[in-house]
Amino acid sequence: MNTENAANKKFRKELKSGTVSLVLLSILNRSDEPLYGYEITKNIDSSLVGTFRMGQGALYPVLRSLEKSGLLSSTVEPSVSGPPRRYYRITGVGSETLGNWTEMWVKTRDFVDDILKGNNDV
Amino acid sequence: MSELIKEYLTRLKTALAGSDPATVQDALSDAEEHLWIALQLAKRETPEIGEEEVIASAIERFGSAEEIASAYSEIESRGLPVMEARGPAGRKSSSARFFGVFTDPRAYASLFYMLFSLILGTFYFSWTVTGLSFSIGIIVLIIGLPFLGFFLISVRGIALVDGWIIEALLGERMPRRPIYLKKPANWRERLNFLLNDSMVWKTIIYNIMMLPLSILYFSLTITSLAVSASLFLRPVLEYVFDLPLAQSSNWSFWTPGFLMPVSVALGIIWFLMTLHMAKGLGKMHSKIAKKMLVRD
Repeated sequence: MNTENAANKKFRKELKSGTVSLVLLSILNRSDEPLYGYEITKNIDSSLVGTFRMGQGALYPVLRSLEKSGLLSSTVEPSVSGPPRRYYRITGVGSETLGNWTEMWVKTRDFVDDILKGNNDV
Repeated sequence: MSELIKEYLTRLKTALAGSDPATVQDALSDAEEHLWIALQLAKRETPEIGEEEVIASAIERFGSAEEIASAYSEIESRGLPVMEARGPAGRKSSSARFFGVFTDPRAYASLFYMLFSLILGTFYFSWTVTGLSFSIGIIVLIIGLPFLGFFLISVRGIALVDGWIIEALLGERMPRRPIYLKKPANWRERLNFLLNDSMVWKTIIYNIMMLPLSILYFSLTITSLAVSASLFLRPVLEYVFDLPLAQSSNWSFWTPGFLMPVSVALGIIWFLMTLHMAKGLGKMHSKIAKKMLVRD
């Protein structure tokens, strides 16, 4: 049982590391306005827990990492009450990368689906 | 800030022990921002629910301190794959870094701060020196102590506002709100607290230091800008406005025509160097301000 759990956990972690970045880029690409972390996490809150078993907070380091990679840019805006908010928007390189990643994702998904369907048919 | 959020941030900080200080700061500010917004929204939407309950559920959705710490550590250890593959930002050549400053908004913001700081420095200095000497002067009068209290509160206000300006222009994270303090029972207690608060005295020293510092920043920046403008605009100055490079009563020196492109190019390079200098001074000033205006 424990081994199974560990295997699932490992697989989920491996799936998660790329897909979360893709999801975040896609959300920011769709938005006309820059979004702050809370707004982004709110959009995918239930899917996060359901699919990836991750807390909303785990998205923030991914946002930071995408920013450091130049795919997102951010500005810190003071807020009237409370801490300042960091607003993220996608960069030109980010949009271009999203296009490439989406293509890769679709190819991978179709390939895996085909294989899985093939296995099911057998 | 709510005690529960504070507690969570402390747990997160402990869980992140050993990580890069910048990562710790990022993690703490992300968590603080998120939980604070969650709390404010919940308060607005369902005011009848208790704060503790709201924060507990927000923390649960946010993720445990250990989970979040490991998410940051994992990303940190993974490095920057995209950057390594593409080779921009992180491994820019030195010439790309030198010329890249031209499109760096942070450099222009620092440049603006360096010029604007003279006004701030003069104001902080005058306010602090006047307030301090006036307070001491009238301390024996009945209005002496209340005035001293008012002055010390104003000093804390200045520290906060200056922090906002520094964060907006220089990008250094500074406290957004005054540290929450229990309401003192009476005036005497409040005054006593202010007098014993090392932050107030450090801010007073900072405010006084701001005058010489801002004079230095302003002079360096304005001189450097003037030099770059005079080099860049040399052809316009000489051919349009008939202003020679150097002049005395009986001679004047005009730049030879073939040197004009060199002068323009030097002007551009000088401007880029000014931007680098402003950024460097900005970084240095943020460090000073953080040391003097932020509670450890």
